[in-house]
Amino acid sequence: MSKELIDAIVDMREEDAVKITAQLLDGGTDPLVVLDACREAMGVIGMRFETGESFISELILAGEILSQISAIVKPRIQKGGAEKKIGKVILGTVQGDIHDIAKDIVGFMLDVNGFEVTNLGVDVPPAKFVEAVKSSGAKIVGLSGFLTLAFDPMKDTVAAIKAAGLNEVKIMIGGGQIDENIRQYTGADAYGKDAMAAVALAKSWS
Amino acid sequence: MFIRPDNWNQMSPLERRKARLDAWQNAPVPFINPQAEANYKERIERLRKIYDMEPHDRPIADPFMGANEYIVRRKGINGKDMVYNHEKLREPLLEFHNEFQPDTSAMPLPYPGKVMDMLDYKSYIWGGQKLPDNLTIQAVEGEYMTGDEYKEFAADPTNFWMKKYLPRVMPTLAPLAMLTEFPRVSENVDIIDLMVPFGLPPFQAMLKTLMEAGDELMKMLAIVGQTGAMIAGAGFPGMGFNIVKTPFDYLGDTVRGTKGILTDMYRRPNDLLAACEAYVPVLINAVISASDRNGAPCALYVLHKGADGFMSQAQFEKFYWSTWKQVMLALYEEGITSYLFIEGSYNNRLENLAQMPEKSLVCHFDKTDMRRVKEVLSDKFIIAGNVPASLMTAGTVDEVRAYCADLVELFEGSSYIMTHGCYFENTTDEKLRAFIDSVKK
Repeated sequence: MSKELIDAIVDMREEDAVKITAQLLDGGTDPLVVLDACREAMGVIGMRFETGESFISELILAGEILSQISAIVKPRIQKGGAEKKIGKVILGTVQGDIHDIAKDIVGFMLDVNGFEVTNLGVDVPPAKFVEAVKSSGAKIVGLSGFLTLAFDPMKDTVAAIKAAGLNEVKIMIGGGQIDENIRQYTGADAYGKDAMAAVALAKSWS
Repeated sequence: MFIRPDNWNQMSPLERRKARLDAWQNAPVPFINPQAEANYKERIERLRKIYDMEPHDRPIADPFMGANEYIVRRKGINGKDMVYNHEKLREPLLEFHNEFQPDTSAMPLPYPGKVMDMLDYKSYIWGGQKLPDNLTIQAVEGEYMTGDEYKEFAADPTNFWMKKYLPRVMPTLAPLAMLTEFPRVSENVDIIDLMVPFGLPPFQAMLKTLMEAGDELMKMLAIVGQTGAMIAGAGFPGMGFNIVKTPFDYLGDTVRGTKGILTDMYRRPNDLLAACEAYVPVLINAVISASDRNGAPCALYVLHKGADGFMSQAQFEKFYWSTWKQVMLALYEEGITSYLFIEGSYNNRLENLAQMPEKSLVCHFDKTDMRRVKEVLSDKFIIAGNVPASLMTAGTVDEVRAYCADLVELFEGSSYIMTHGCYFENTTDEKLRAFIDSVKK
């Protein structure tokens, strides 16, 4: 039955995936097993994305399917039964840029891959990133920016994090026009070309 | 304005294309002196040969599709100025053209800030309004049409646009929803339904605001138009565009949002396809009318959601390409060249573009592999691109020079326009000069 759920998610059969989830839970399957199936399905989709066989449209729909499944599963998880997270990530679109779709896909992929993600939203000033890092103790920051106007705010945010003495924090950047030139320009530790690259970077830093 | 020759109906698509390009090339320009006139004619003749894919002495470099804001920002103009203070742009623009001697004219897009304020425009935010003064404008993605409204849209896109979409994104226009469906006005009694809203206070208040907004727009257009004429008169021709989108991007960018339309491909594929199909004749008519009105020989598509990575090749061909191709072919029949500004990468879509008739396209790339472009498309179409925005922002002058030199070498013998891959805010004069001069050596 878990295999059926994995297949339904991977094949983008939204209604089937939700229905199978309900059947699994009603049949006494451990909610954590259902979440493991979701994670396995996302692993397949993520791998396909890396090889060009899966697309942003599928990442978005998979996100919506998992959000529906999560709403059914989470109330049934016993206290203390929740999975252990492998690291904390602070994520946001930098000041002046209001685009959120790519950032939210990155947040979702980090979440299903075991990270505790604090999503600060869009148009986030440098000070807010610094404050979030300090209060959460996160060791990874992800800066998103769709427009070229994000280059300078990214640079400012990296500088603000370093100026706050948070030198052990690793910073990754991403967005449509981000490349190695911009990584050097901003002083970030790495850039990722897509959500899967963000997951790989975060794992390598955890 | 483009006036069709008497034998228009007997002309082939390429003959019509020639007629439109002739009219554009020979449009009257108020030259400031004979030298400016000679320079303009030399420049537009070179561009014309590139558009015609005929032998020419060298490629051109067009700063518009990348540096069009930097060229005024370098003189202290900010985003708010570009939206509200159009007269402040004139001197910096004239200075830029005089100093850099580009092959084509460039200026920021003319955003009518006061008019957008008066319409209470919701689907953008801009400098001096909700964005800080240094920024210009950004789209606010939203679901301005629900998934359940596809059928209503497909039944009559114009009616939906007027009575549902416009009131949602411009609340000042909410009274438009009071209008009757125009095609039902047939008998004399229908005049009553037609005219009732015009007698009601909310509709009259809207008309008053629209007239005031129209006055503001005319003021802005007079300033922008004069600046454009002065740049042309100083010797710099424009590329000749009307901006358009594909049916899928109209629906995705404008009414459904990225998340909405990409999931609609799975959740309501038939509704989405029907809406794209319904939009095709609307778009074709709109572009032809605009080209006839202002004489621009090209339709500039700003392409978004069909790029590699957004959807599979099968989805692209089913949802994106099928209706877009219909629009481009219809425009080709009317002699209008489609200029494709392809954001992101299109490595998987080049064979689709190759299906189009010769000279029907100018293909402007951002992150696509230009070596494959050369191989697959350069014999049939005009090619443009792809100096990276990141290089202009963070690279060195030598790196810009080397990148441009590679492109010039790659497209030797092709019809090629040196352009940036994407718009950017920051660079240096030295890097911009390296870009502009790269084709002149």
